[in-house]
Amino acid sequence: MAFRNVNRRRHVGLQQLSSLASTGRTLLGPLKSYKFIVNESTNESVLACSVVRLLESLDLTSAVGQLLNETIQAQSKEYKTGTTTLLFLAGAWSSAVLECLQQNVPVPVIVSVMSEGLHSCSERAKCLQVSVHDLYKGPDSVPIPSNFNSARPQISENKTPSAASTSFLNPSMHLHKDVPVTEDECVPEGPCSHQANTCDLHNRYFCSPTYAAGRQMHSAVGPVGDKTMLSIPGTSLITSSCNKIKLTHSRHFNAVGKKCSLLHVGSFQGNPIGPSAHCYEYKDFGQLAMALSHGNQSSMKLVQDIVRCQQWKTNPTGYVTSVSPENAAVTKQLKGQLLQILLVDGDLSEKYRHLGFNRPTNVKTVSESLGVQESSSGCSWTSRMLDILMQSEVNLILVKGNVCEHLMERCILNNILIINPVTQNVLYAFARVTGAKPVTYLTQVNSQCVGGGVWVDFWRIGELSTEELESRMLISIKAEGSTLVTAVLSSTVISKMQVIDDQFWTCAYRLQHALTDGKVFPGGGAVELFCLSHVQKLVDQALNQANKNSAGEFHSAPCWMAESLAEFKPLVLKALASGWHKYLSTVMCNSANFTSEFEASISIKHHLKKVTVCGSPSAYILQEFNLREVVGKVGPDPLTKCTEFVQVYDNVTAKLEAWRRALDLVLLVLQTDSEIITGPKRNELLSSPLSSEFVFI
Amino acid sequence: MSRIEAKKPSLCTSATLTKDIVSHSVSVLSGILKSCYGPTGRLKQLHNGMGGYVRTTSQSSTLLSGLSATHPILKVLTASVQNHISRFSDCGLFTAILCCNLLENFQRLKLLPYTVVKINRHLLSLCTDYLKSEACACRILVDFNSVETLLCLVRSVLTSKPACLLNKTEADHIGILVIKAFLLTVPNNVETNVALGKCIIVPVKNKRVMDSTVFSGLLIEIPELQLARTFPIRRVSSSNIKMALFCISLSGDHSSTGEGTVVVHHGVSLELAELDQLLNLGKQLVNDQVGLVVCQKVIHPSLKQYLKEHHIISVDRVGLSVMEPLSQMTGSKPIAAIHSLSPSCYGSLKDLHTENFVSKCFLHLIPNDTLVCSLILCNRNETAWDELKVACQTAEHILQLTVKQPLALLGGGCTETHLASYVKYKVFNLPTSTFKALDCSQTQYQLVADAFCHSLESVACCLEHDNGEILTDAVYGHFWSIPSGFPSDARWSDLVSKCGCGIHSKQQKLKWMVLRNQHTPFTPQSCCKDPCVKSPDLRALDCFAAKCSGLQVAVETANLILDLSYIIEDQN
Repeated sequence: MAFRNVNRRRHVGLQQLSSLASTGRTLLGPLKSYKFIVNESTNESVLACSVVRLLESLDLTSAVGQLLNETIQAQSKEYKTGTTTLLFLAGAWSSAVLECLQQNVPVPVIVSVMSEGLHSCSERAKCLQVSVHDLYKGPDSVPIPSNFNSARPQISENKTPSAASTSFLNPSMHLHKDVPVTEDECVPEGPCSHQANTCDLHNRYFCSPTYAAGRQMHSAVGPVGDKTMLSIPGTSLITSSCNKIKLTHSRHFNAVGKKCSLLHVGSFQGNPIGPSAHCYEYKDFGQLAMALSHGNQSSMKLVQDIVRCQQWKTNPTGYVTSVSPENAAVTKQLKGQLLQILLVDGDLSEKYRHLGFNRPTNVKTVSESLGVQESSSGCSWTSRMLDILMQSEVNLILVKGNVCEHLMERCILNNILIINPVTQNVLYAFARVTGAKPVTYLTQVNSQCVGGGVWVDFWRIGELSTEELESRMLISIKAEGSTLVTAVLSSTVISKMQVIDDQFWTCAYRLQHALTDGKVFPGGGAVELFCLSHVQKLVDQALNQANKNSAGEFHSAPCWMAESLAEFKPLVLKALASGWHKYLSTVMCNSANFTSEFEASISIKHHLKKVTVCGSPSAYILQEFNLREVVGKVGPDPLTKCTEFVQVYDNVTAKLEAWRRALDLVLLVLQTDSEIITGPKRNELLSSPLSSEFVFI
Repeated sequence: MSRIEAKKPSLCTSATLTKDIVSHSVSVLSGILKSCYGPTGRLKQLHNGMGGYVRTTSQSSTLLSGLSATHPILKVLTASVQNHISRFSDCGLFTAILCCNLLENFQRLKLLPYTVVKINRHLLSLCTDYLKSEACACRILVDFNSVETLLCLVRSVLTSKPACLLNKTEADHIGILVIKAFLLTVPNNVETNVALGKCIIVPVKNKRVMDSTVFSGLLIEIPELQLARTFPIRRVSSSNIKMALFCISLSGDHSSTGEGTVVVHHGVSLELAELDQLLNLGKQLVNDQVGLVVCQKVIHPSLKQYLKEHHIISVDRVGLSVMEPLSQMTGSKPIAAIHSLSPSCYGSLKDLHTENFVSKCFLHLIPNDTLVCSLILCNRNETAWDELKVACQTAEHILQLTVKQPLALLGGGCTETHLASYVKYKVFNLPTSTFKALDCSQTQYQLVADAFCHSLESVACCLEHDNGEILTDAVYGHFWSIPSGFPSDARWSDLVSKCGCGIHSKQQKLKWMVLRNQHTPFTPQSCCKDPCVKSPDLRALDCFAAKCSGLQVAVETANLILDLSYIIEDQN
C-alpha cells in the first residue's frame, strides 16, 4: 500500500478541482464558446460545447478528476442539464474554500457553515419558483410576455455597459451563434415536416404510447386509458400517466461515404410531454418551451413539434429508419398494405442464445451414418425459421440484434421485411400498440405473438437523393394508435452533429423537468442574485448573534466550534456567496453585455443594494425578472431574424441539485487529507521518482 | 506442464516491536486511522492509481479491507480488528487506534513483555468489571419506548462518517428510516425464541438522500418494460399467492453435467430435451396454482413465455442477497431441481404490487407476517452511497445489539476519559497483595497503568483534528475541547461550552485541567442519579456491546503482539 498526504501545505485536491473546473468557464451562459480539443500525437480533434463532452475528452486519471467526472456524469444522467453550473460552482467554491483555509478557518467550520448555508439558500429560493400552471392559467401574478410593451426596445439596445444599470443581466439569450445550417433548420408550419438536409441526417425516434405505472405529475392530468394492462381486483397498480422522457439510446450509424453523410439516431420512450401538455394551450406551452430553451430555439422548436404531434396525434412520422436497396424493394411491395408484425428481442441467427445461457463444453456428437454435413444444418435452420414466418403470415420483423445474412436474403425473396437493429424502446412501443409480444427465438412464435395494424412507406423519397445516403433508403413504419415520432436534425457541418444532438436532448429534458417539477425558476441569474442577498442576510444575522451560543446548529462538529463560529461564520458565508457572484459575473461577461468582470461586479452590487432597500428580495427579484423582462431576448445576430422577446426560465430541481452536488464535491475533497493507492500500482510507485511523496507499508 | 522446484526453507525473524520497520509500519497505520476518527475525521481516497473507482471513506471496515498490510504484525492487528468489525460493525477505529496506542506506549516502557501482558490483563478486567457494574457512571439505559435515545445512537454512527455527505436534515431522515426499518424486523409476539427479521438495502444511486424510504416486505427491481406485462396475478385465494423460489438456473443450459464428456447421437438435441423438461416444470407450476416464480438465476425465454400465458409472474436474476430473506419471509424453500417438486416447497404471499419509485420499477412482495423490510437508500454519488450503505448497516446492527443489552456508553470521548480517570483512581488505591499476585512491583504496575490510561486518553484526543486543546474535568472525568491559540490569561470556563457527549455544560462551574497532564486521582462521579438519562443535549452515544468488545480486542491484540518473539514465514 502506498500512502500520500495531499494537503500538507496548500490543499492539492482543491487546487486540482479549481483548475479542472476553469476549463469549462466559457461554456457558461447562453453564448457558449465552442472548444476544439486536439490530440497532438494523432492530430485528431473534437468539438466540445458541453461540459460532459469536454470532460469526456480530458485526461482525468487523478483521483479528484475521477470524482469530478463521476459527479458531472451523475448530474447529466439524471437531469441532462445543470452540468455547466455544477462544474463552474465546484471550481468557484474550491477557490473560495482555499482562501478560507489560508485564513486559518478550521475545516469543520467551513463544512458546517457552507453546507447549512446552501441548505438555507435552497430552501429560501423556493419562494421564487413559479408554478407552471400559474404561468398560463393563474391570475396576473406572473404575466406572460405575450404583448410587446414599452420596455422592450429599450432592452434590445441594452448591450452597452453604460446602460447596465437599467437591466441586470441582460444576456443575449436565444442566440444561435454561427450555426451553418440552411433555412431548413427553421421549423415549417406542418408538424414534423422539417426539411431534411440532403447531406446530413439526424434522426430521432420518439414514441408516446399510453403507458402504465408511471408517476403522476399533475393533478390535472387524468389517467390515460390503458390498453395493455388488465387491472385485477386486489392489485393496486398505479395507472396514472407516465410523464417522463427516458433517453435510452443514442448512437451514430451509417458509414462515411464520399460526402460524409451521417445519420444520427436516438430514441426515447414513455409519454414525455403529451398527456401533461393537454392542459396547456399550444401557444402557452410554446412560450414555456421557449423560455426553457436557453438559446437553443431550433432544438426546442423540434421538441415542441414532437409534443404537438403526440398531443394531437396528427400525422406522426412513425419510426423512420434507413434500409438497404434490397429491403427498399420489399418495402415497395408491402407499401399500402396492412402488415403483420413480429418483434424479436435478440439476434436472429442460429448460434444466438439468450443471456445467461452457458454453452456446454463437454458434449460430443457422434453420428452412426456418414454423409451428414455441417452446412446442411445451417440451411435447415433457415428453412425452418422461414417456415415459421410464412405460417404465421408475418410481413415485418423488427429485430433488436443482428440478423443472419442467409435468413435476411430468404426473407427478402419472400417479401418479408426485416429491420435491424431496433432499440428495445422502439420494440416495446410497437408491442404496446400492435399487440405483438416480443420473442427471443422464432421457435416461440405463436398466434399471440404476432401483431397487426402496421404499415410501411417511403419517407419523403422525392426530396432525398439515394446516392447521398449510400444508396440506403429511408422508410417509415407506422402503427395504428401509435404516437411514435421521429425528429430529423440536420447540419452541413459534421463535427457539429454531436453538439446539435446534445442541445436537442437538453431541451427535451428541460421541458420535461419543468413539467415534472410543476414549477420553474425565473432564469437569467434571478435565483443566484436572490441567494447573494440571502447570504448577506445570514452574514448580518451571524454578526448580530456573535455572542449567542449556537452549538445546537452543528451537531457533528467539535464543541469548541460554536465558539469559533462567531469569528469565522461571516467569512465562510462570504466564500459561499462568492461562488454565485463569480457565476453571475461570468455569465454577464460571456453574454457580451459587459466587457469585464469588474463592470459586471459593479452591476451586481448595484442590484444587491436595490434588493436591500426594497426589503423583500423575492418581490424585487420577481418584479425585475418578470415584469421588466430584464433577461429578454436580444437578437444582435442578423442571421437570427427573430426579434421576439422571450421570458427565460430555469429548472428548479436540476439547478438546486447542481448546486448541492458541486458543494458536496468541494467538501468531499476538502475533508480528504490523503490518498491510499492499492494494488499493483504500489510497486510501480516504489521505483518511480514520485516515491519520495509516498509512505509504503 | 508442471515444474518441480526445490522447497525453500522457512524464514525466521525475531519480531520485537523495537525494530524500526515494525514501529514505523505501526505508526503509519495508526496515523492513517487516527486522522479518520470521529465526525470531523479526515477522509481517505482509496484507489488503484490507474484511473479506477475512487472510494472516499473514513470507515474502518473499508479502510482495513482496502489497505494491504504487508508486515505480519500489521496483518495480525488488522485481522483482529476486522474480526471485531464483522461481529459488531461499530467501534472499529476505536479498537485499532487503542491497540496502536497501547503498542506504542508499552514499547517505550522497556519492561519485560511478560510483565506488561500480565498487568495489562489486570487493567482490562478492572475496566470491564466497572463497565458491567451498576456503578458505572459513563453508561446509560436505553429506553426503547422513546425514539430520542435510539436516534442519538443512530445519529452518532451516521455523523461520524462525514463521507456520507449528509446535512443535518438528511442525517435525521436517514436516522429515522433506519430505526423504522429496524422496528419492522422485530416480531410483534415475543415468544421464547425471538428471531429478528431482515432489512434489505435497495440501492438507488444518483438521487437525493431525502428520497430514501422504507417499505415493509421485499422490493425486487424489475425492468420497467416488464412492469406493464406482469399482471393479472393468479391467486389461490384473495390473500394468498403461491410462490416458487428457484436457486438454480432455469436457462436451459444443462450445465449440471459435471466433469467428463457427454456423447450425443446426431440428431438428438440436448437443448430441446432440456427445454421440454423446463416446460414440464412449467406445467406442474400451473397445476399447482403457483402465481409467482422467482429465480435467483436466469429463466429460459420460452418458459417465461409459457408462464406468462398462464398468468404466472416470473422474475429472474434476483441475485443471492435476497434469497435468504425471501425464503424466510414467504416460507418457500429454495428449489434446486426441475422435476419432482414437493408441494411443501412452495411459499405464500399475501399480496403483490408494483411500485414506481424514483424512476425505477419494483415488484413489491407483501408477506403474511412481515419481518422483512426494504430500505430504499438514495444518495447523490457512488462513493457517498457506498459510505452511507455501510453506515446504515452499522446503525442497524448496533440497534440489534442494543435490543439484546439495552445499554449505551456516552460518546464524544467522554467514556474514554472517564474510564481513564477511573483506572487512575483505582490503581492509586490498589492493595499491595495485587502486585504480589501479579508478580510485579508497584512501580512496574504504575508505569503500565499510566501507559494504559494514556492510550485511552489518546484515543479521545484523536477526535480533535483542528489543533484544539483537550481538557477534562475533575468531577466527572468527561471530555472537553477548546479552540487552539487561546490567550494565556483566558479562563477555561470562558472557553469551554459542552462536554463531548453533551450532558454537561460550562454552567456547572467545574474544575478543568489539560487532559494529558499528570494530576491527582479522583473518583469520577456519576452524572446524575437517574440511570436513564434523557438529556435533550445528549449529542453522542456509543453502542455498549461494540465498545466493550473493542476495548477487549484492542488490549488482547496488543498483548498478543507484545508476546510475539519470532515470525516464521513460509517462503514457498
